Amino acid sequence: MRLKWVALCTAAMIALPMAAAEAAELRIGFTADALTLDPANHRNRETQTIIRNMHDGLLTRDSQMNVVPELAESWTALDPTTYEFKLRRGVAFHDGSPMTAADVKFTFDRLTGEGAMDGQTSPRKSLLGPLKEVKVIDDRTFHMILEEPWPILPAMLPFQEVVSKAHVEKVGTAGMAGSVSGTGPFKLVEWRRGDSVIMERYDGYYGGAADIPPMGKACVDRVIFKVIPENASRVAALLAGDVHIINGLPTHNVKQVESNPNTRVMAVNGTRSTFIALNNQTAPFDDLRVRRAVAYALDRKLIVDKILDGNATLIDGILSPDAFGKNEALPTYGYDLAKAKALLAEAGHADGIDVTLDVDGANKETAEAIASLLTKAGIRTKVAVNEASQLKARYRTKGKPIDGQMWLTSWGNGSLDPVGIFVPTHRTAGRGNSSGYSNTEVDALLDAANTETDRAKRASLYARAEAIVNKDLPKVYLWVAKDLYGVSNQVAGWQPSADSRINLHDACLK
Amino acid sequence: MTDAVSRTELDLAGLRTESLFARNMRLFATSRLSLVSAGVVLAFILMALAAPLFAPHDPNETDLFRRLQPPAWMPGGEWAYLLGCDALGRDILSRIIYGARVSIFIGAAVILVATTIGTLAGLAAGYLRGWTDIVISRLVDILLGFPYLIFAIALIAMTGPGLGNIILALAYKEWVIPCRVVRGETLAAREIEYVEAARAMGGSRRYIMLREILPNILSPVVVVSTVRMAHVIILEASLSFLGLGVQPPTASWGSMVADGRSFMLDAWWVSTFPGLAILLLVLSINVVSQGLRDAFDPKFHD
Amino acid sequence: MKLGKLFERLVQLLPVLLGVSAIVFIMMTLTPGDPVDIMLGDQHVTEEQEQALRKDMGLDLPPLERFVKFIGNAATGNFGLSFYHRQPVMEVIASRLPATIELSLAALVFALALSIPLGVIAAVKKNSLLDRLATVSSLFGVSLPGFWFGILLLMLFAVHLNVLPVSGRAGFSSEVPPITYLLLIDTLLHGRFDAFGDALAHIVLPAVTLGLPMASILMRVTRASMLEVLEQDYITFAEAKGLSRYKILVKHALKNALIPTVTVAAIETGSLLGGNMVVETVFGWPGLGRLVVESIFVRNYPLIQAAVLIYAVTYVMLNFFADILYTVLNPRVRL
Repeated sequence: MRLKWVALCTAAMIALPMAAAEAAELRIGFTADALTLDPANHRNRETQTIIRNMHDGLLTRDSQMNVVPELAESWTALDPTTYEFKLRRGVAFHDGSPMTAADVKFTFDRLTGEGAMDGQTSPRKSLLGPLKEVKVIDDRTFHMILEEPWPILPAMLPFQEVVSKAHVEKVGTAGMAGSVSGTGPFKLVEWRRGDSVIMERYDGYYGGAADIPPMGKACVDRVIFKVIPENASRVAALLAGDVHIINGLPTHNVKQVESNPNTRVMAVNGTRSTFIALNNQTAPFDDLRVRRAVAYALDRKLIVDKILDGNATLIDGILSPDAFGKNEALPTYGYDLAKAKALLAEAGHADGIDVTLDVDGANKETAEAIASLLTKAGIRTKVAVNEASQLKARYRTKGKPIDGQMWLTSWGNGSLDPVGIFVPTHRTAGRGNSSGYSNTEVDALLDAANTETDRAKRASLYARAEAIVNKDLPKVYLWVAKDLYGVSNQVAGWQPSADSRINLHDACLK
Repeated sequence: MTDAVSRTELDLAGLRTESLFARNMRLFATSRLSLVSAGVVLAFILMALAAPLFAPHDPNETDLFRRLQPPAWMPGGEWAYLLGCDALGRDILSRIIYGARVSIFIGAAVILVATTIGTLAGLAAGYLRGWTDIVISRLVDILLGFPYLIFAIALIAMTGPGLGNIILALAYKEWVIPCRVVRGETLAAREIEYVEAARAMGGSRRYIMLREILPNILSPVVVVSTVRMAHVIILEASLSFLGLGVQPPTASWGSMVADGRSFMLDAWWVSTFPGLAILLLVLSINVVSQGLRDAFDPKFHD
Repeated sequence: MKLGKLFERLVQLLPVLLGVSAIVFIMMTLTPGDPVDIMLGDQHVTEEQEQALRKDMGLDLPPLERFVKFIGNAATGNFGLSFYHRQPVMEVIASRLPATIELSLAALVFALALSIPLGVIAAVKKNSLLDRLATVSSLFGVSLPGFWFGILLLMLFAVHLNVLPVSGRAGFSSEVPPITYLLLIDTLLHGRFDAFGDALAHIVLPAVTLGLPMASILMRVTRASMLEVLEQDYITFAEAKGLSRYKILVKHALKNALIPTVTVAAIETGSLLGGNMVVETVFGWPGLGRLVVESIFVRNYPLIQAAVLIYAVTYVMLNFFADILYTVLNPRVRL
């Protein structure tokens, strides 16, 4: 008995330093650094991805993109403009203080109030639409009150994280940029700006969303987001074993990562729709026949197979196949060279047309492939590479004259709700309406859907709108590319997520 | 500050050192290499001019079924596409041959513009002195205060990429370098007897500047321009790396290296061969420039 | 005399800084691209919400008013908030500047360590095979596109041989409390030799990539000035006195020959700061250059303004420093 005790002690003494030396440290090779660590003071996907491992939200999404409660236990719509939320019990911030409804109210007041962040206004305010106020009922209950019906509130809440009132009041908005006291599975250790964000497991974690097993503390001891912007370097870091997960795996490296015995590729349907915006305001693309000719001339499948190595799903409308309200019965514009030429001739361009396809540097290759296919159909296309910011200014004119003919571009939609993509890209004078498209019927359908609280009715409104744009073809809809991750075989329990979040709570290292 | 700078600029070009004997010896020793290098540069120029004769394929002909095809000697390669194909299935060898046109043209155009402007400004500043000098020198200071690439990026962000704008973005600041050299040399030449004699004989300022001083300071200008031309070709590559290179489908070596860099792990040939082309040409220009420097050194002619 | 010169230089600095600011401002105003729209990204946003953000970023004012306000604030050291980080520009820059300084210094040290011995040997063994080899190979350094060479190094040492890390500034487990904010020095001050080795392994490839062109230039300068010095009377005199060759080289010749080398090195360090952005991108180095390039692409005006001013001041000061050095070291030159 005594001997056993000594043996155990010795084993523990030997094991302890070894465990410390071999602490499970999960490293992510990531494309960009966080801009700030303040969840309310940015408008940036990468920042959100990093922060979300230290901060939890009221709601979150599972890997199938369903909205599920996280810090909230449940929610119900009392009426179209009032939602009641119940908070979980036993949630504590990293500094040990309990989270209550007062913290939630503080969080949302800070997000929506003008100048509420020591004089700054949160750039995330617009992600909360018509949210008027948060009313605290008791420590665990609160109401969210809207100015008008806004059915996508639950879909938008995963984008916001709850902060600690006491902590914010202590460090101020200036201090929030570099410090974290959240409710997430990891605590901040150090932020080396431009280089890495280092986190360690938070042992007081409440366990995470009940609908996403396993519950409990995070599996690994430490997590490091290592910033590696250059594609080849990021892939090299994975192959060399420096990091365990990389995002933004280029399609041409897929075979390499797969053939490496220590790594594998994980893919998830993305949320970004890629399309060619055609300038509907002026010739030649003010003519529907010419727009359709472009669609028929384009062998989209060939490009997806060759350039994207098959890692994309073709679309015939603006919405991703996973989006709410997607019209499943859209007719497709298949590759048909003869039809394209006939349509061109019918439009009075029997000798073909000369056009310029604008593109930013990152998508140059795809644009060149598209141009060479279109040229074969008599749409002689020149590619012009320009800086993305400049192209946005030229094409996203909110109804004013567009300076250009066609633009290979895309629009992301992390919420997978049509409001985030259909409205801005197709409503008259919308922010992302880079075609100068205007159809009063589409506008009316989109407006009606915006406040329609009946899910089925709302979905059918979008489906009808998508059928119209599929016919009008203001843009040539191309595909939704998969998000590709390179993952070490040491990693277990982790799933990529369609909203490009990298949730490391469940990830383990073998 | 310009004094020290132009001094060191001359040190760089090696114009103020070494005895006649050393010069002779070294000239002898390196001339063969210079000749070979000049031959290489000429060969590249010839290749650029007669690109259609040399190129086995249309450099812009895409074929997605040949995407990233390896060079001929590797499995999967074929001899018709000697150096393999790029991401759009275009023949890399043909693109290198045609790309020589763009790279050499950008280098030459930038240097021509910059040297002309810089020499005239430097002459004026160094000879006229006074306000002309102050204004030009201040402008030089301001432009030098910008890191080269930041300025070029900002300028291209403003005007949009394209061959003309790239030349503009590189020449905009490049003229400062010959300007500083010429100003320093002019300051020195001003005091030399024959210039003073010309002045005493009532020569006009323009006559003295262009006929008396210019010919005597031409050698450092030529040396500096060749060195800088080599540098400009590299800068063009850097601009391409930052996504601001020439417009497709035109190939420049810089854009080929930059576009191919993400394939380094799986298709190294896409960026390696154009990179080697840059290395060979720029190295040859630099060796020639060194040889020119030796041959042109004023001490040598004294 | 010296003080007067310093004062004069500082006065000269002002119009340069004002000119640089004005040029940057005009360029940014003329460049298409709306920071508000870029920041909002792909979302549905109402017009009022967009205007509120515009006001928050101070972009609702007419350009001239913005410029006057910027100059006024800059004079008091306030460069405003970075649009994207939404923190004071100076804080953001300060967080990235040490990495850039450290890389530039490492490149400088590498360049000096390589170029001075090579330059001296080439000069002493003038016209030998060694000399010619050194001279021609020094030309290699200025004949390579930096990013291409960097990627080649990375492929060789980090991927194929797997002896050096691929990217970044320091390893994952080597946090040391900052003292100078230069990792190579801080780790030593803390006696953390493991962390020092780690930091060194990370900086080798970027420093070599960045320092090689400079080494080429410095090698040629050293060689040329060494040749000049070796032909001076006092060296001949020393030789006549029968001093050992080694003593002459090190005690007399090298000391004088290094003046131009050091001067050129000071000036070139300024251009290192500017050339950093390409190398920083390839090696994921968390420096200022990368930040500035990213800022130009997203139209982060306040940060671009401040960074360009920093570059300009550094450049002018380094030149001034080079002038002083030249005068102090070389009594033959009058400023």
